[in-house]
Amino acid sequence: MIQMFHVEKAYPGDPPTLQDINLRVEKGEFVFLTGPSGAGKSTLLKLVFAAELPTGGQVLVGGHNVGRLRASGIPYLRRNVGVVFQDFKLLPHRTVAENVAFTLEVLGAPRREVEEKVERMLKRVGLLHKAGSFPPRLSGGEQQRVVIARALVNEPTILLADEPTGNLDPALTVDIMDLLRDVNIRGTTVLVVTHDHSLLERYRSRVLRLERGRLVYDGMGPP
Amino acid sequence: MRHSPWVHGVAVLTLGLALFAAGLALGAARWVDALAGSLGGEVEMTVYLAEGQGQAQAEGLLAAVRASHPGVEARAVSPAEALQRLGAQLGDLGAALEGLPDNPLDWSVELRLPRPDRSPEALASLASELRALPSVSGVDYGEQAVARLEGLRRALRWGGLLLLLVVAGVTVVVVSATLQLAIYARREEIEIQKLVGATDGFVKAPFLIEGALQGLAGAGLAGVGLWGAERLGAPRAAELAAFLVGPAGLPPLASPWVLLQLALAGLLLGLAGSFVAVGRFLRV
Ligand SMILES: Nc1ncnc2c1ncn2[C@@H]1O[C@H](COP(=O)(O)OP(=O)(O)O)[C@@H](O)[C@H]1O
Ligand SMILES: [Mg+2]
Repeated sequence: MIQMFHVEKAYPGDPPTLQDINLRVEKGEFVFLTGPSGAGKSTLLKLVFAAELPTGGQVLVGGHNVGRLRASGIPYLRRNVGVVFQDFKLLPHRTVAENVAFTLEVLGAPRREVEEKVERMLKRVGLLHKAGSFPPRLSGGEQQRVVIARALVNEPTILLADEPTGNLDPALTVDIMDLLRDVNIRGTTVLVVTHDHSLLERYRSRVLRLERGRLVYDGMGPP
Repeated sequence: MRHSPWVHGVAVLTLGLALFAAGLALGAARWVDALAGSLGGEVEMTVYLAEGQGQAQAEGLLAAVRASHPGVEARAVSPAEALQRLGAQLGDLGAALEGLPDNPLDWSVELRLPRPDRSPEALASLASELRALPSVSGVDYGEQAVARLEGLRRALRWGGLLLLLVVAGVTVVVVSATLQLAIYARREEIEIQKLVGATDGFVKAPFLIEGALQGLAGAGLAGVGLWGAERLGAPRAAELAAFLVGPAGLPPLASPWVLLQLALAGLLLGLAGSFVAVGRFLRV
């Protein structure tokens, strides 16, 4: 589903952020990506949904070479990749329901279908009662769930979650993790960035560890 | 538009004024054209023969002009007919002419030229040709009026073209500037749209529509302005027109055809402005 061959990413003027990354994530896998702050975890995710292009090597998503995708092909790649952004990227002046509907609207989905799917998705993340609220009035955990709902409402084949439990208390962390596991059980390939070691202990899954732009560990459970 | 109604209002007003000015210029040009056309229909050249020239010379001149200008309508006017016409023109005063011992008028020839020969240059060259003849004492064809109208037409044509360019420039600049603001105001939304898989067209379409609507709204405003100007100015203008052009009168300032042209111009210019803005400020 996701393959990287000798991938390098260097921002102009800086030493490479990612160097010689080789990995392969199969369809239906649940993978943690961990490492210290600034190791390049977010950058690696950005390569998968073509928010950044590699400066070396090749990134394949669903068999397509992302670096060779024409500009007109990028939207179709992104429709298959749901992203939970580290900084949320919620629109403050749109309601929760409108924020979630965004993903479906850009597909030109009919109104009724949008409403149905948004409602079902909000119910699933337990936020139906907040459908008409505006994001700034929600708690951090609630906002996090809105972002997850927006990423999943289109039933993507890949879900990328960038520190989805970064600033949540333990109870909410469990809620979110259960949700992500549930998504994975239903068939979506899930890649979760976290620096929370206890998660790696609790959910025995494949773990990738980045340090200073290099992949230093790839195995089951914490390094 | 909900983001900055004030900016959009000013933009539409500016477009309206620019298109209104263009519409007025267009109206003026068509008016002068109508004036020139109706005057052209009456361009008649009168060739006065010298004193002592008789019917034979007049007929000779007729034959010569007909030969050199096929299609010309020409007839000779005898001194008696000329005197009679003068009497009719003078009305009550005409009676005084009857007391004259001798007819003081000479033979003349009236020419009505076919269309291609009615240009100011052709008329002037024919007149000087005829003036050179020894049997001719003078030629009269209202040359100043013709030349002046022609000058006015030319000035209006160039002025109109210049105005059109200015209007086009103003429209494109104003529309693209307001859309730049709109794009800036919605940059977050645009970023997220792109991240969740919106195509270029999906992101750009609302701005193109916005520009087109601005152009149309400006055209609508200009149309209302022209209609108002016609309603207010029409009675006076119609009087003047009836006097100058004849009862057929003034070409309308805000005819359906003009309004359609205006709407089309507004639409195209608005779209051009939004394409500029989208191309420059919406890198997708
Ligand atoms: N757009 C960018 N321009 C320049 N440098 C960047 C950019 N994005 C990230 N970086 C740099 O790349 C490195 C890795 O960043 P990031 O992938 O966000 O790390 P992580 O998510 O692991 O904390 C950091 O040193 C960061 O400063
Ligand atoms: Mg990060």
